[in-house]
Amino acid sequence: MFSAPSTSRFRSRLDGRRALVALLVYLPLLAYAALSVFPFLTMVSAAFKDDSEVTSNVGLIPHNPTLQAVKVTWTSLDLLVYVRNSIAITVISLLAILLIFPLAAYAFALLRFPCRRVLFGLFVALLFVPAITVLLPIVLLNDKLGLLGTRWGVIFPLVNGASPVALVLLRRYFESIPRELHEAARLDGCSEFKVFTTIYFPLARPALVAVAVLNFVGIWNEYVLSSVTLSDPEKFTLPLGLQQLLSTSVVQWNVVMAGALFVVLPVVAVFLVLQRYFVAGLSGSIK
Amino acid sequence: MGSRHAMTAGARARRRRESVTGLAMVAPAVLLFVVFGVYTLGYAGVLSFYRWNGISPDWTWVGLGNFRTLFFDDPILAPLVRGAVKNTLIVAVALPVLTIAISLPLAVMLNSITRFRALLRTIYFLPYVTSGIAVFYAWRFLFEPDGGINRILQAAGMGSLSQPEGFLGNPDTALPALIAVLVWSNVPLGVLIYLTGLQTLDESVVEASRIDGAGPLRRLTAITWPLLRPVTALLVILQIREAFQGFQIFLLMTEGGPLNSTNTMALQTYRLAFGLGGSPDLGYASTIGWTLCIIAALLAAITFRSLRSRV
Repeated sequence: MFSAPSTSRFRSRLDGRRALVALLVYLPLLAYAALSVFPFLTMVSAAFKDDSEVTSNVGLIPHNPTLQAVKVTWTSLDLLVYVRNSIAITVISLLAILLIFPLAAYAFALLRFPCRRVLFGLFVALLFVPAITVLLPIVLLNDKLGLLGTRWGVIFPLVNGASPVALVLLRRYFESIPRELHEAARLDGCSEFKVFTTIYFPLARPALVAVAVLNFVGIWNEYVLSSVTLSDPEKFTLPLGLQQLLSTSVVQWNVVMAGALFVVLPVVAVFLVLQRYFVAGLSGSIK
Repeated sequence: MGSRHAMTAGARARRRRESVTGLAMVAPAVLLFVVFGVYTLGYAGVLSFYRWNGISPDWTWVGLGNFRTLFFDDPILAPLVRGAVKNTLIVAVALPVLTIAISLPLAVMLNSITRFRALLRTIYFLPYVTSGIAVFYAWRFLFEPDGGINRILQAAGMGSLSQPEGFLGNPDTALPALIAVLVWSNVPLGVLIYLTGLQTLDESVVEASRIDGAGPLRRLTAITWPLLRPVTALLVILQIREAFQGFQIFLLMTEGGPLNSTNTMALQTYRLAFGLGGSPDLGYASTIGWTLCIIAALLAAITFRSLRSRV
């Protein structure tokens, strides 16, 4: 008799509680989302402010939006040179990484050869060697090899630095492919190299993309090694160019932020498009 | 009999060919590793027992003398290095604690919702993928005397907390400010690790506790948190590793200043190696670099142990 109204009252109370819970969950989540994008919004907003507004108005919306800072960055920085250098170092490094480590990971996963386990263990141990410990010897070695000041002086150490994560991810991927495939192809008379190039390499596409995206982000943002290796501004990458903007006597933050945008935008774009692989690769490498 | 013998010989030949193929396939990676990994690490190891200014052809053997000079004896360097050790330890404690305190609740909340989950996860990830010079400069701008953080504090009626010389200009606030940025760029990793951990949790255990009448908070403290302990251990190790090894943020935001209040061991190594604020001493630099490497090796050992105990 009174069960109907009571359930409806009960339900509305439940709805109220659920709304409160939703509010308690979404409010902090949204607040943190705001904090996550806050520096980027600052970058964008400062890049479109003029020289005086960038210090006087900290609001995110510029009162007089202008392209002046972007133009100054573009002309004063030889931006095209830096973009080209950044692309060259990133692309060559990625190609080398995607050539050398799948091959090695295939051997570690499927072939038996002497020192296999010890070698793999040493590669993984490299993950725990601090970059700063080997930074100075790398510079001295580059000097000896005549690589100091050249792109290769940056590329070789970066490619080597990519080995632990790339080998772990790719070996695990190759091991997850049924072994029968390997045996069948071998029985058909394919050489190991042919099995690798025609079957395993194409099959590993998701792992290869993950390795590529993870390393793209790291190499594109790389600053320390480039800064101690490259000295000729003609060879500078984007992060080094950006650093120059801040070492001037009077820092113009709108120009610096416009430069920062040029560094960040390609990474954000690649991440948004390939985020699935990035997240899979990252969670795969820490498991 | 004869055919069997031929077969084993054939198998042996095949095995030998497999070995040669395998070694040939890993050869490029190993070559790079030997030159840029093993050689450089060994070089730094040897150099840490010598003194060398980088120019003169002679290295002076001092044995463990560098270590003593740097950490105890030298009137100028020892206090600097010890300050760097202290700051490194502060970061090594604060970074994991704060990262976990923020990323665990975020991951639990994110795991409980369906709407906007993918979008929020994408947004949370931005600080991690863009971590580098551009974002560090954006934070530097925000920490300026007339930058965004001070203005926000003033607008929120907390003007007493604002820093007239900027957050990075005051020795008392510079390190906390850098730790905040470090936490900000590491929380995404924490959220990702915890989300993965939460999704592999045994649902039946959580469900059983719900049926037994455990509230959400009790479920979190009594069930989820203990089950996530291995994940937390991994996160702690990664953060400590970051605290000991990462120095880009310190180099790009403060160069260790003001008054060395943000100097860390890795940054001190860099300063000694490349003569930032003084003449370079490559022996000294290698000594601190190797001390860091030994700490890293210990952490690696702990990592493998904690990972093994997980299985």
